[in-house]
Amino acid sequence: MRKGISRRRFLKSSAALAAAAAGSHLLTPFAFAQDGLPFEVGPEAMNPLGLEAGKKVEGIFFEGGFGRSYIDNAADLFRALHPDNEMTVEGIQRVQEVLQPRFIGGNPPDVIDNSGAGNIPMDALVADDQLADLAPLMNAASLDTPGKTFAETLFPGSQATGVFDGKQLLLNIAFTVSGVWYSQSLFADNGWEYPQTWDDMLALSETIKTSGISPWTYQGKYPQYMVFGVFMPLVYKVGGIETLKALDNLEDGAWTSEPVLQAANMIYQLAANDYILPGTEGLTHTESQAEWLQGHAAFIPCGTWLENEMRDLTPEGFDMVIAPVPGPTADTYSSILAWPGEPYIVPKNAANVAGGMEFMRCMLSKANAQFFAKEISAIMPVFGGSEGIELSSALQSALSAAESAGDGLFNYFWKDWYSALGDGTRDAMGQLLTKRSTPEQFLETIQAVADEVKADEDIPKYTHS
Amino acid sequence: MSKNKYHIIIPFLLPAVVLYAVFVMFPYGKAIYISLTKWRGLTPNPEFIGLENFQKLLGDDLFWNALSHNLIYLIFIPAITLSIALYLAFLLTHGKARFSRFYRVTFFFPQVMSLVAIGVLWSFVYHPTIGILSSIAGLLGAKEPIAWLGNPDVALIAVGAVVVWQAVGFYMVLFIAGMESIPVSYYEAATIDGASRWDLFWRITLPMLWDTIRTAMVFLAIGAIDMFAITQTMTEGGPNRSTDVLATYVYDRAFLKSNFGYATAVAVAMFVLAFLLSLLTMRATQRESLEY
Repeated sequence: MRKGISRRRFLKSSAALAAAAAGSHLLTPFAFAQDGLPFEVGPEAMNPLGLEAGKKVEGIFFEGGFGRSYIDNAADLFRALHPDNEMTVEGIQRVQEVLQPRFIGGNPPDVIDNSGAGNIPMDALVADDQLADLAPLMNAASLDTPGKTFAETLFPGSQATGVFDGKQLLLNIAFTVSGVWYSQSLFADNGWEYPQTWDDMLALSETIKTSGISPWTYQGKYPQYMVFGVFMPLVYKVGGIETLKALDNLEDGAWTSEPVLQAANMIYQLAANDYILPGTEGLTHTESQAEWLQGHAAFIPCGTWLENEMRDLTPEGFDMVIAPVPGPTADTYSSILAWPGEPYIVPKNAANVAGGMEFMRCMLSKANAQFFAKEISAIMPVFGGSEGIELSSALQSALSAAESAGDGLFNYFWKDWYSALGDGTRDAMGQLLTKRSTPEQFLETIQAVADEVKADEDIPKYTHS
Repeated sequence: MSKNKYHIIIPFLLPAVVLYAVFVMFPYGKAIYISLTKWRGLTPNPEFIGLENFQKLLGDDLFWNALSHNLIYLIFIPAITLSIALYLAFLLTHGKARFSRFYRVTFFFPQVMSLVAIGVLWSFVYHPTIGILSSIAGLLGAKEPIAWLGNPDVALIAVGAVVVWQAVGFYMVLFIAGMESIPVSYYEAATIDGASRWDLFWRITLPMLWDTIRTAMVFLAIGAIDMFAITQTMTEGGPNRSTDVLATYVYDRAFLKSNFGYATAVAVAMFVLAFLLSLLTMRATQRESLEY
């Protein structure tokens, strides 16, 4: 590319980019920069972060359920934009084991996908002041949404979990909707209809049970799926956002308060009436999801990653869809739990902080969001990310659930802030669902853990306001 | 010659001493130092806090919970494994069992598989819907599938049983080797004097085998303090921490909670425990070994 050209043309069609990326990562981007529908980059969006020419950018990424094609796609955008800067992409698992020595050594990579099992706990990274403040990036011009800043192209609230003491320290690149899944075809065949209230849910469960199918299963050895998948939505629907805030802020007695107890009683009905597939507690998450796909159970809680995770085992015509957890009344039905995930970070001590941020501008571009929706059936919290894409039944149901929720999109934070509380609720939920504890004992156990967390001075505290 | 002997000994010893110091002594020392710090594992400078971690450890219910499971394993696994191994070894050397070579190989087989593979395999055996154990229970009239690893009352036994299954073959072969080296004339003499099978076992086999048994006990005891691989692959310490052992607790604190200082303190406690235990076992089972 010659100097002095103020605008560069990009390919809009992400499919062609994907094909090119799959062919060779070394392929020069200019080979396909001129055909298809291009997106144009305004002069103000060329290099708003002041990336030094010729300075290498090193990215190391967790390679999990989403694979790495979308990362390569973003890297190709980056290379097209900055042909003078080398960009490396490395996919890994167990981020902590791999990258801990580099943090200790003071030479971490420039951008990291810190996700998956064995990631570096965010609270530790924040407490040790290892992360770059992403304010320059948030205020920079967006790559392919002209006239908007980078921050303005992202779903409102989608980056709230990345703000610590007013600083944006991480960016979530996936938007997850979590609720109850069922097979549309199974329900149509039996004339069942997804219930609007929890009472109807229990009534339908009874009907399903008499038909010989277990109404419910959950991810057995990992009961936390029932915590975020069913219990916390019930808490929200009974007690509203104030109750969630009380839990997040570790208020005294929050867990044993009336709305939470009511929610605990509601979820306990599934166990008390034997609506849960026998043996569930001995299954792993994929095993229980497989039981569900085989039609041994009608409902399972999960987030939107379920479709991609179980793709190989999903029978033809299963038509999985996600729905909100029904609340105590019909008007609480539509609210749904949604949270941003797959956190990316730029280490403060990285050699090329500007490069790491510039990569994130490509990662969360509209073009890459469309690639993400099309190739991985997942949602990036970027406006226009599903424009012109044909969606699967699962993704379609997730998007429409999120849309019809409107203001009822909610999230809670103790699971991210206080890992001990995550363990405590997981273990207590397992006991509750196998009828080894009552709803009262369940909440007392969790309250005790919350009290311990609150009393522990080594755990940094945050406020949900 | 005696004056100059150190000139020869030292250069020969030095490489070994250096290697040992760098790769064994230094990490031990460093670990003990880290256990005295608050360290999240991200910065090069851990903050020194003295014995605070150990103080915290004493009041930590999860630590005592994990330790109690190690102690349960410690009491039962060596006793059960050794009893079964001795019984099988005695049968195969004295019982004139048919196909005894075949049994030896079969019983020994689990020993050549990796612990992780065994954990995964047994997870399938314990699988509540497709597992063989649940199918058998179903044939015997159990109405509902049993979640062996999902039931906090049963999971610890289920995991322990796998370790016994895995270890029995090895110790059986060890004991067979020991038994076969006991001179036959002792048995013949005793038999002529009218000794029963039972007497032969208690009065000849066991005493002559004591050295081997003692070694086996130390190995098994140290194994019971560890238990990491099998627990991590089968239950990750769950459900409700009912199979958590010290090693999985260390892993949880260090690698899941990024609390390396505290985790190292737990690991040091584990080391002290294993060290005391081997000393104790060696002392308690010390007896003059027999020569024959």
